[in-house]
Amino acid sequence: MIKSITRRVVLAAAVAGLAAPALAQGADRGPVKLGAVLSLSGPAAVFGIPERDAIQAVLKQMHSTTPDGRRIDLVLVDDKSNPTEAARAVSQVINNDQVVAIIGPSTGSGILAAGPIAQRLKVPLLGPAGTLAITDPKNEFYPWVFRVAPSDIVDIRVILRDMAKSKTKKVGIFYQEDAYGKTGVDEAKIFGPTIGLNVVDTVSAPYTATDLTAQATKLRNAGVEAVFLQVSISALGSSFLKAARQVGLDVPIYANAGLAQRSFAENTGPEAEGLRVLSIGNIPFDPVGGEVELAKMLQAEGKVPQGWGELVGTNALMAAVAAIDAQKGKEITGESMRDTLETLCNFKAYARGKACFAKDKHDGWGEDALVITELRNKQLKTLD
Amino acid sequence: MSFPGQRYLGPRPNTLIIAVCVLVALPVVLTRPVWTDSAVVLGVYALLGLSVGISYGQAGILTMSQGAFAAIGGYAAAILTTRFGWPPYADLLVAMALPAALAYGVARLVTRLSPLATALATLALGSVIEILIRNADALTGGYIGLAGIPSVGAINTPAGYACLAWGMIVVTVFLYENLMCSAYGRALNVLRVDQARARADGIDVPALMSAGFAVSAAVAGAAGWLYAHYISFLSPESLDTHISISALLMAVIGGAGYILGPIVGTLLFDGLTRLMPAAELQGFFYGAALIIILLAARTGILGLLAGLARRLRRPDATPAPRAANLSPQESLP
Amino acid sequence: MLAIAEYVVRGALSGAIYALLAVPMSLMFVTVRTIDFAVGAYALIAAAVCWSVGGALGLAAGLGAAMACAAFMAIIFLALKRLGCEDHIIYALASFGLATALASLVLWWWGTQAFVRDAFSDPWSVGGIRLAPQGVINFALILLLVGALHLLIQHTSLGRMMRAAAANQTGAALASIPVQGIQVGTYLAGGLLGGLAGLLVLYSAGLDFTAPLGLTLSGFGAAIIFGIGSPLRGFFGGLAMGIAQALAAGYASAMVAGMVPFLFVLLVLTTSRFGEEALAGGRP
Repeated sequence: MIKSITRRVVLAAAVAGLAAPALAQGADRGPVKLGAVLSLSGPAAVFGIPERDAIQAVLKQMHSTTPDGRRIDLVLVDDKSNPTEAARAVSQVINNDQVVAIIGPSTGSGILAAGPIAQRLKVPLLGPAGTLAITDPKNEFYPWVFRVAPSDIVDIRVILRDMAKSKTKKVGIFYQEDAYGKTGVDEAKIFGPTIGLNVVDTVSAPYTATDLTAQATKLRNAGVEAVFLQVSISALGSSFLKAARQVGLDVPIYANAGLAQRSFAENTGPEAEGLRVLSIGNIPFDPVGGEVELAKMLQAEGKVPQGWGELVGTNALMAAVAAIDAQKGKEITGESMRDTLETLCNFKAYARGKACFAKDKHDGWGEDALVITELRNKQLKTLD
Repeated sequence: MSFPGQRYLGPRPNTLIIAVCVLVALPVVLTRPVWTDSAVVLGVYALLGLSVGISYGQAGILTMSQGAFAAIGGYAAAILTTRFGWPPYADLLVAMALPAALAYGVARLVTRLSPLATALATLALGSVIEILIRNADALTGGYIGLAGIPSVGAINTPAGYACLAWGMIVVTVFLYENLMCSAYGRALNVLRVDQARARADGIDVPALMSAGFAVSAAVAGAAGWLYAHYISFLSPESLDTHISISALLMAVIGGAGYILGPIVGTLLFDGLTRLMPAAELQGFFYGAALIIILLAARTGILGLLAGLARRLRRPDATPAPRAANLSPQESLP
Repeated sequence: MLAIAEYVVRGALSGAIYALLAVPMSLMFVTVRTIDFAVGAYALIAAAVCWSVGGALGLAAGLGAAMACAAFMAIIFLALKRLGCEDHIIYALASFGLATALASLVLWWWGTQAFVRDAFSDPWSVGGIRLAPQGVINFALILLLVGALHLLIQHTSLGRMMRAAAANQTGAALASIPVQGIQVGTYLAGGLLGGLAGLLVLYSAGLDFTAPLGLTLSGFGAAIIFGIGSPLRGFFGGLAMGIAQALAAGYASAMVAGMVPFLFVLLVLTTSRFGEEALAGGRP
């Protein structure tokens, strides 16, 4: 008798699981499935690969179990740095694997393309991108997207304020021709003048440019007193620095967080000395607090910390973990994850700064996650 | 053996095949949400592949701008519905007419070039369109793109879009096959193989090739329209040069000269790349698969199958005679 | 005036790299009538290997790796031919597959980092324009190489055979010219020149795993501007493209600067008279 009831319950649970995938992780203590849709190939792989490495390292360290003892299964898919693939991957991990939350997609456009799907299938996205539009309250899918990195606007303001301290007035900007570069330039042109920085000239280049001396010459001829680099392709960054030295553009240079990469710092010559680079934490060269812990986990996996991709990737993971443990004993679904994420504040993560989400605040991290570093002897040193 | 509609579909084997396949496969596909989603995206890719088939397989224009034409169609749909509140489907006309007009104009300039030079010209054209889209911030949302594109009327589920997408494909194949059975289609075949002969036959070669390219661009525009409404977000990266190149690859792999070749190529290649381990080595497997398929079937999968079928029928037959609308794209000196 | 001169000089120096990439393109187009999309990937492989090995040995290893990849492409080409494929488009698509595979291997083995090295630190000043020594060396080297190639093609028996094979394959084969050997040689030359371009970029601006397609297309663009028939024309095409880009970067908006190379290509292809014959003999 008991046996047959059990069997019937199991059968009913199985049927329920088929009928409503999101409910599959019932009140039992089965594993919770998390999706990770990250750019593992294509231009955004620069950040997607470290994101993946760190997420895997942390999960391994945790034995794939939350502090509260809930098992986590990670489903990893490559979005190929492409919005269409990102949308497909998100649909795949929700429909096929019944995940209750997704880390990624890695790029802003990937998140914007996947947002409507997340909304329709009721699973939150934890986006590691700075693109402002992903958490625009005007989006219909706003409730379903959470940002786990400081937004581009926050980044720009912090680095420009540092620049303003040096009494610079005339600023030139070099940016890469993509969404990251263009938003940075637009925001700098708006925010700069409010703190006494006038953007007198801007130059740009596509990813594949092999020579930037013409761009550097133009900034030199415009008589800029400082240059701001809104670039995330490290080849473009080092190429511009070389070009600047070559054409005699000897002014202080500031770079946004896109260039806070180990390979950039280690691959530049003497011309990069003194470059100011904004960064989210500083695991590769100057880790503190949680970053030390994360760096150790990465090293245990044979990975070398690359920049801040590791931090934003684990931010997303830790937010999901905190949300899972906050729902102790309850049934976890995409909707319950979303509702819980909106109440999270001050949970454990490896990035510095205080992280809080709220109903009208889907940007979890702010200025206090950022540091300003200076490039000295092929290392990015954190300034006070 | 007879069936309803035989009078119209009998001489249209490709339409019949695709219609039956879609009718049989769709109910199965719709049982799994993830298959349904893939069916829509693959439908978009298959339409793009078909557009390459029309342009390269029939008119002989090796095109690398189909992604850009689709982008024009997609942006037209997005802008008309979000900014100007156009009713659903009305924007489809513009989404097809705009790229067609552009393609017609451009084709008049490039038709006298060799296929590889045409490829380069269309690639350059696609890049120029991409740059214009990126820089027209006010209209296209610039680099960030446009979000919140409404769905097509009553169709707002993936299942609905899957039916719409494959319905569009069946219609396209039907029109495509009709075109190829018409005098225009026969003329296209003549000029692709021998332009001098076509001229001698009194065919206005540039006009006909341009018309073929325009039709192909219209199909690409329709694919873009479908993409924009389904994904509901469009950015310059959504339908870029990579899409153009992969549409071309899929058409060639399936057999660009065969009406159904691009569809076969799309389904097969996408399935194959999905089965392979992804991440950093994704491109490696993609490239290796491409080379192997080209080595195994240089006239496309359908070309390989047709060759096998011929050999089975007549074991001693040497390279087969080329049937008018089934002949694969052979070398152009 | 000096400002314009400066942009022109800088453009010419950077255009030299395009010129170098244009040479294998035009050789390939003339002898095999196809594009080797993998030339940019040879450049990337050469740069990556050289970067890892370092020193003079690195230069040799880089070139060797590029040549090995080109040899692999030649094998694919031969296999396709052996299987009866005479379609140049298929050769081009196969090389595209190889390019994708090579770039992916670099991403897998070396990661996303940029490859860049420095040979000189202080710029030279020429007529008030500060130039990087590496750029000047690149330019001189490429000029020398293209000149030598031009002489080889115009004034040696090997060159005569190449031209014969290019003009009429069947005729050349009848005259017992090893057409297939020349075509394979052309693929290998693509590896050598592409690899060399990669090394020069490694020591000047640097590159990463996303570079190959862009390099190939720049090279092809440069090759066709003044007609694809000879490496000398490709050289000047490269210079013209570099100068146009530099001037656009200096005086036009980002949008226009980005479009310049493509508009250039479109304009040349759609208007030039020499297009018909020089561009692979027009249509049949």
